[in-house]
Amino acid sequence: MKKKNFRFYLRLYGKILAQDLKSKMSYRADFIISTIGMIATNIAGFVSFWILFRNFPTVNGWGYYEMLFLYGFSLVALTPVQCFFDNNWSLRMYVRDGSFIKYCFRPVNLFFYFQSEVFDIKGLGQLAFGIGTLVYSWTKLAIAVTPLAILKTILFLITASLVMVALQNAAAATCFWITNSFYVLDLVLRFKDYAKYPITIFTPVFRFVFTFVIPIAFIAYYPSLIILRPDDVGVLTWISPLVGGLLFYASYRFWMYGAMKYSGTGF
Amino acid sequence: MNLKKYVALTKAGIMENLTYRLSTFIMIVGNMLYLLVAYFLWKAIYASSGTDYVNGMSFYDTLIYLTLATALFTFMEMYIVWEIGRNIQSGQIVRDLLIPMDYRRYLFWSYSGSLVTHFVFTFIPTFIVICIVTHGAIPFGWNLPLFMLSVVMAVSINNSIDFFVGGICLYTESIWGINIMKQVLVALFSGATIPIAFFPEPLKTITLHLPFQAIYNTPLNILLGKSGDMAETFTGLGFQLLWCVVMTLISRGFWNFSIRRVTVNGG
Repeated sequence: MKKKNFRFYLRLYGKILAQDLKSKMSYRADFIISTIGMIATNIAGFVSFWILFRNFPTVNGWGYYEMLFLYGFSLVALTPVQCFFDNNWSLRMYVRDGSFIKYCFRPVNLFFYFQSEVFDIKGLGQLAFGIGTLVYSWTKLAIAVTPLAILKTILFLITASLVMVALQNAAAATCFWITNSFYVLDLVLRFKDYAKYPITIFTPVFRFVFTFVIPIAFIAYYPSLIILRPDDVGVLTWISPLVGGLLFYASYRFWMYGAMKYSGTGF
Repeated sequence: MNLKKYVALTKAGIMENLTYRLSTFIMIVGNMLYLLVAYFLWKAIYASSGTDYVNGMSFYDTLIYLTLATALFTFMEMYIVWEIGRNIQSGQIVRDLLIPMDYRRYLFWSYSGSLVTHFVFTFIPTFIVICIVTHGAIPFGWNLPLFMLSVVMAVSINNSIDFFVGGICLYTESIWGINIMKQVLVALFSGATIPIAFFPEPLKTITLHLPFQAIYNTPLNILLGKSGDMAETFTGLGFQLLWCVVMTLISRGFWNFSIRRVTVNGG
């Protein structure tokens, strides 16, 4: 059999995506309402951010626009996990009722096939919002726009996304052992909300925890430093692309390990 | 008597919730972690504000308000709209409507088990920890029984809103969009994200006239003794009662009207 390379998977993803979009478009009302819902979510998030900063102009030496930058950065960085890996939320239901077994019988990579099944188009609204916020705060902070700065931003956005995807994969995969992974996923979701605050507000113990145990500091804080505080950049920021890649790979292995050895229920 | 069937549903719900022990354990630990992060976050925010009181709320007040709002949310949110939506799409709603029990009561009581488990495993530990951490910033007196009364009414209002939104699902057949909009609106306008005391003026007045604030803001203000004298406390409770009755009538009327035109695919 021919070895399935990257191009093969890319083409396959395109085909699955097209079918998925067609089926979603057939429920037009649902599609429109979901889009409005996503916009409402983003507006509400922004309104609460704005109310908070009306009352507290700075947080630990970070001004309004810098915090806005972190906020926008985390929104963009969270888009891939929303768009491409949303099926992780359903994993526990498939494992519980036994239908997960269907994924095991396809001649393609199990992880790929499972994640490719759902493309969450609502994430694109978040992407637009995030980019808007990022550009707005960027101009307000009067940071020079150079090709290098943009390149750096993109590289570190990818890094941050990988960290978030890794966290969610690992959280979802716990259901192979504990069956109901809802609370683990919920915990990751809640911590994700804290990614938009600078890690310096925490005590050293928690700085350690959020860097090395639950690495949410890599979602927005360490990568953003490179743009916001170029003089403050430490070694943790420079190694973050490496950390992102490693974490993603580790979470993939963990997910696959669980999928290979879980004992099915039901059916 | 009649009560027996309700108790049976509650019991079944509790048992279902406790089946996955490890997941219950993670729920408790996750909640404690969340409390810790909230503590440090708000401590830093208050430390950089330079004053002890912001809009009449001290650091302890804000901490208690927000953590208890989250704890209230975890046990009040029964995900009933998701359930109704899923049942509409799968057609199971036809079966549920045929049960010799009012559909709304049936849904409420079958989810009451999760309400009880979350109350015991999330709300009570949070309450105890917060009491210790804030060195008795919560006054103990008449406010406690009144708080409980207020929470009971809040559960009822929340349930009515859920059922109203469930009624909308009968028309749109859209779950995600409607639900996320409801969650976002309730979270923002109830004070669960940011205390209503922080809202800027026109928004604050509008919010205080909406039913959402009666879910979290009223009980929490009563608990914290923020509502001043007894007269104000009872005005708050009176408003809650009013919303309770109004929302029950509206949601019941709307549901009874809409259920006549339910279309079910498959099932």
